[in-house]
Amino acid sequence: MNSLAAIPYNTLVVAVAVAVVGFASGVVGCFGVLRRRALAGDAAAHATLAGVVAAFVVTGRRDLPTLLVGAFVAAMASLGCLVVIRRFTRTRDDAATALVLSVSFGIGIVLLSGLSARGIPGAGGLEQFLLGHTAALTATDAITLAVVSAAVVLVVWAGLKEATLVSFDPAFAAATGWPVAVIDYALVALVAAMVVVGLPAAGAVLVTALVVIPPVAARQWTDRVPTMLILAGVIGLVAAVGGVAASAAVPRLATGPTIVLVASGLFAVSFFCAPERGWFARRRGV
Amino acid sequence: MLLSIQKMSFGVPKSVWVSGLWAGVVAVTGCVDAASGVDRAAPRVLATTTIVADLVRHVAGDRVTVDCLMGPGIDPHGYKATPRDADRLARADLVVASGLHLEGKLGELLEKLAARTRVVAVAEALPRDRLLEIAPGLYDPHVWFDPQLWSLCAPVVAEALAEIDPAGATLFRERARDHASRLVRLDEELRGRIAAIPAERRVLVTAHDAFRYFGRAFSIEVVGVQGTSTESEAGLADINRLVDLIVARRLPAVFVETSVSDRNVQALQEGAQARGQKVQLGGRLYSDSLGGPGSDGETLEAVLRANVAAIVAGLAGAP
Repeated sequence: MNSLAAIPYNTLVVAVAVAVVGFASGVVGCFGVLRRRALAGDAAAHATLAGVVAAFVVTGRRDLPTLLVGAFVAAMASLGCLVVIRRFTRTRDDAATALVLSVSFGIGIVLLSGLSARGIPGAGGLEQFLLGHTAALTATDAITLAVVSAAVVLVVWAGLKEATLVSFDPAFAAATGWPVAVIDYALVALVAAMVVVGLPAAGAVLVTALVVIPPVAARQWTDRVPTMLILAGVIGLVAAVGGVAASAAVPRLATGPTIVLVASGLFAVSFFCAPERGWFARRRGV
Repeated sequence: MLLSIQKMSFGVPKSVWVSGLWAGVVAVTGCVDAASGVDRAAPRVLATTTIVADLVRHVAGDRVTVDCLMGPGIDPHGYKATPRDADRLARADLVVASGLHLEGKLGELLEKLAARTRVVAVAEALPRDRLLEIAPGLYDPHVWFDPQLWSLCAPVVAEALAEIDPAGATLFRERARDHASRLVRLDEELRGRIAAIPAERRVLVTAHDAFRYFGRAFSIEVVGVQGTSTESEAGLADINRLVDLIVARRLPAVFVETSVSDRNVQALQEGAQARGQKVQLGGRLYSDSLGGPGSDGETLEAVLRANVAAIVAGLAGAP
């Protein structure tokens, strides 16, 4: 008997699913953080609820791929609104993000309560997308999540040069003829895609943590973008697997929130202990 | 208007103020059937859940109009009241709730409402020593799954109805007795059917702990993935523990509920399958809500029969 067989099947499935999602979220989240758009992902995450409910109403189906498509459309629509508000009004970035976040989440809640008031059979449980259902991920879910995560990571890797340039020096990029707006929107769209994929693993409210905390933690350790990407991915992966292990060991410990707590712990370690930017290192420097 | 008439009538013999009340209603609403001269303003009762509405309808007959706040398929634990609901509650002559925190967030609204309207929570009237205590002072609200226990709620409804329609008091009490004895007979009938399940396989695995009274009444061990409320998220340890149980007891079926998501149960099924234990989905059980019109669960009696049929079919066969 090898050591893998000793791990219960469900733990294994969930661990694989969230490890892949954790890694990809960490990688993709880096550009959101570098571009100071970390909260755009949060806005997208909150918009997904409306998309999930709408997808259920339109198709009458409740399987993961259908709901994720709905969630993705809603996330992209909310980011589109964000771009439009930024470009055509004088609203500042943070206010625009807050506006899109709260309005889109409000739409989701209204749709959901409208649905439950009509008593449409099978609607029960859609609100689970708010909290996520990490512990109940099945093998089919895991495959869906792995495929999308892998695709997102590949796209980021392929466009690494462009993304880095736009993140650090948009003015130079524009002057040399790069379609900055398009690349910018593509980056945010990747974050949105990752947020949508992370929904079943952490829920709409906590999924932002997966695309924000690992990059912020990784930033403490390095100034090189490729290193930061890989490090953020690894931190995301470790947090995910650590959260799963804790939740499997202790009864009545919800898996999604535990993952976020482990990620926060890793951030705290990075904040204090990183060699140059860490708190201790800077204290010594003074 | 109604309230002020009631308050004015203190000290006046009951029959007098009741007819005065009716006169007031008729005067305000003008609701008199011209042909017969009989007023059609039957008292309006609003029940919170379909299960409570079923009980009230059985006791009230057609003397009162019974409506239901949460329709079929709605999970009362997480229900959020809309302004329209608050309006409907305020306009009812009597609000009948289930109680014991079943109605979750709606409970607060009902408490406030009790200052202005008659609110009766039927399960709150049950003797505490027959309830299942989840935590100190906190009781499992799913009492209707023990038909004998639920039958004790019928007289509670009869007395509440008698207060808003004293002329029907005798009828209500009589109907309550009839309904209670039907529930007790149903209890015996279902007990006989459950006997078909081999003793070692009398284990009911479901999405959330709605069936503890059912388990106690019919001697079935009940295990839920989630806690008593549907609002918490399951942990991996809970899922793993249940998969172990399913494999160890060689359970042929696990069950899903009509008003709760079935994701957790699917994960259980897959986990057990991976360890060579084939587990079927033993049909949807009705839990916190009756079925809609045309379903096999339009009344509580039908729901109990349908649930028991599904459980016997799932667990009695060869593993």
